[in-house]
Amino acid sequence: MKTPIYFSLILALLLSIPVVAGAAETTLGGEFWTRWTMESGISAADSSSTLIKKNALALDRGYFDLKTKFSEQTSARFTIDLFSTDTVSDGAGLKLKYAFVDFGGILPIPDAKITAGLQKVYFGTIYDWDYSIIGKAPTDEYKVANSADYGLTVNGYLPSGMGEYALGVYNGEGYKKFGTNLKDNTRFEYLANLRLTPIPGVTLGGSVMTNSAERETALATDLPVSGYNTQMLMDGVARLAYGPVDLWAEYIIKDVEYPNVADGSKDYKANGLMVMPIIKLYNYLGEDIQIIGRFDRWDETENASAKHLLTAITGGINYNFMHDDSFVPAFQLQLNATQKTYDPDESSSSYAHELKDSLTIMAQLKWRFANILK
Amino acid sequence: MRLYTIILLTLILSLSVSTAFAKQGQITCSGSTTVLPIAQAAAEAFMDKHPNINISVRGGGSGVGIAALQNGTVQIANSSRPMKSKEMSACKSKGINPVGYAVANDAIAIVVHKSNPVKNLTLKQIKDIYTGKISNWKALGGPSLPIVVVSRDVASGTFEDFNEKALGGAKVVASAQLLASNNAVVSAVASTPGAVGYAGLGYITDGINVVNVDNITPSETSAKNGSYQLARKLYMFTNGKASGDVGIFIGWLQSAEGQAIVKDQGFIPLD
Repeated sequence: MKTPIYFSLILALLLSIPVVAGAAETTLGGEFWTRWTMESGISAADSSSTLIKKNALALDRGYFDLKTKFSEQTSARFTIDLFSTDTVSDGAGLKLKYAFVDFGGILPIPDAKITAGLQKVYFGTIYDWDYSIIGKAPTDEYKVANSADYGLTVNGYLPSGMGEYALGVYNGEGYKKFGTNLKDNTRFEYLANLRLTPIPGVTLGGSVMTNSAERETALATDLPVSGYNTQMLMDGVARLAYGPVDLWAEYIIKDVEYPNVADGSKDYKANGLMVMPIIKLYNYLGEDIQIIGRFDRWDETENASAKHLLTAITGGINYNFMHDDSFVPAFQLQLNATQKTYDPDESSSSYAHELKDSLTIMAQLKWRFANILK
Repeated sequence: MRLYTIILLTLILSLSVSTAFAKQGQITCSGSTTVLPIAQAAAEAFMDKHPNINISVRGGGSGVGIAALQNGTVQIANSSRPMKSKEMSACKSKGINPVGYAVANDAIAIVVHKSNPVKNLTLKQIKDIYTGKISNWKALGGPSLPIVVVSRDVASGTFEDFNEKALGGAKVVASAQLLASNNAVVSAVASTPGAVGYAGLGYITDGINVVNVDNITPSETSAKNGSYQLARKLYMFTNGKASGDVGIFIGWLQSAEGQAIVKDQGFIPLD
């Protein structure tokens, strides 16, 4: 297996960069998620009884993180994304999640910086999603946007904590694709994101992104590629935080057009809504416990090739024990239960008949660390 | 519709409960190690006058205190610098409305070993020392002695203020010792003949020399009239306008009685 070799090489490279570049400060951090997942549902062979489809323990995600500060204005971050489980063929995975440099003080705008490299995608809640719930941010979950991608962004904060913004150009393929997975996409992805906090506790924001997949015409033949599509992605975010309550809401629109399909039969518009209330009980119990709920509705009923209408409801509890000086949890125990239901009348045969409906229970121990090396 | 009703009811219930459970007689504050002696001395004096109020004070650095305020685990964040836009934004999005109260004036004093004859440094010379361009006291009219650069760690508001005002955001030389408190800096400089460091005025002892910056001595007058370029204010940040016991404590610290404690601790009163 080549993974350990790659891992060693990347690790050696990461550790040597700050030394070579003479970093003023280097922080070594990590985050690891050990998860038990049990998923139950029915099968095509036997739709009368519920069976356990998955029952597995795994290191579902690990981040190995190196942050270097070259000066007060220039810093960089390198993050390896890894997982280990015996439920996939090679048992492990390793990717570069982030590798970017922040250049502050270049633009004549206070608190603005230019970020270059493999970085967060500033779309919707995807970039500030801290996994209070085990599941992904909805834009990531429903394949609307990638959580990280190669690109160049201008991002920063508005004065007096009024909010933040980002303008960016990305590859549009995401950080996971490589080699034959890449779709010969020669068009960039363009992004604009604005988040406003007009009064403390009330945050409103929106993101717009244009993207495309595959080439318009084939390189070899110059003939139109039927899979070529353009995407207009829009997202509205609202957050209400007051006392122990933190309520998130997000509305997503994904508009996909296939210009090379003449009758427009593949064009579709999908939309989704997420509402996620978090109740923090620390001030009542003296323990850092959170109760979390999440409601998702994802409507992709116009998509001829994957027509479905999904409703997902999640309930969960977090117990954060051991914190750093700033009360950021070092250990987090999470328990989630998610019921996914596909509307039988609005979903195609592969989704209907409860075949993809599921109840998933997950328990996860998440631990993180960050130490300043120098 | 039912979902919205449940969310609304949960909100209302939680807010009612939070009011009912608000802790009385307990003030927690953490943050800047520069503000720490003021906060500790003030807390002791205040608790003597108000035995029903208990104040716990911790250090950690300005950044740590502000993060703790953000996370709702302290009522007061002590800081030796103003809050950054990024921190303000993080606070506000979490429903925390940071309000800053100046509690003292301070000057970041440049300190050298007692045996060092150098009495004055320009801001440019300080920058050159801390960025490694000048590495021997001989270049500054002193003895032929390598300069040992002593600085603060990055959680320190004093470091951020010093970095901005003296270094213009430049990188501190890689060989610098990064220490976690003003006391540690003063001790290191006092025991190392070639050392240079910086610390809040309240930490200055007889065991070290304070050098002038651009021929200005750090003092109450030069800090207040702005002629000393490394002057600053020290803050306490609260969530919203300080009220209740916290409001009484900060109001008292800003009063003549509280400011006398600021002066006793070696810092500069507000007026």
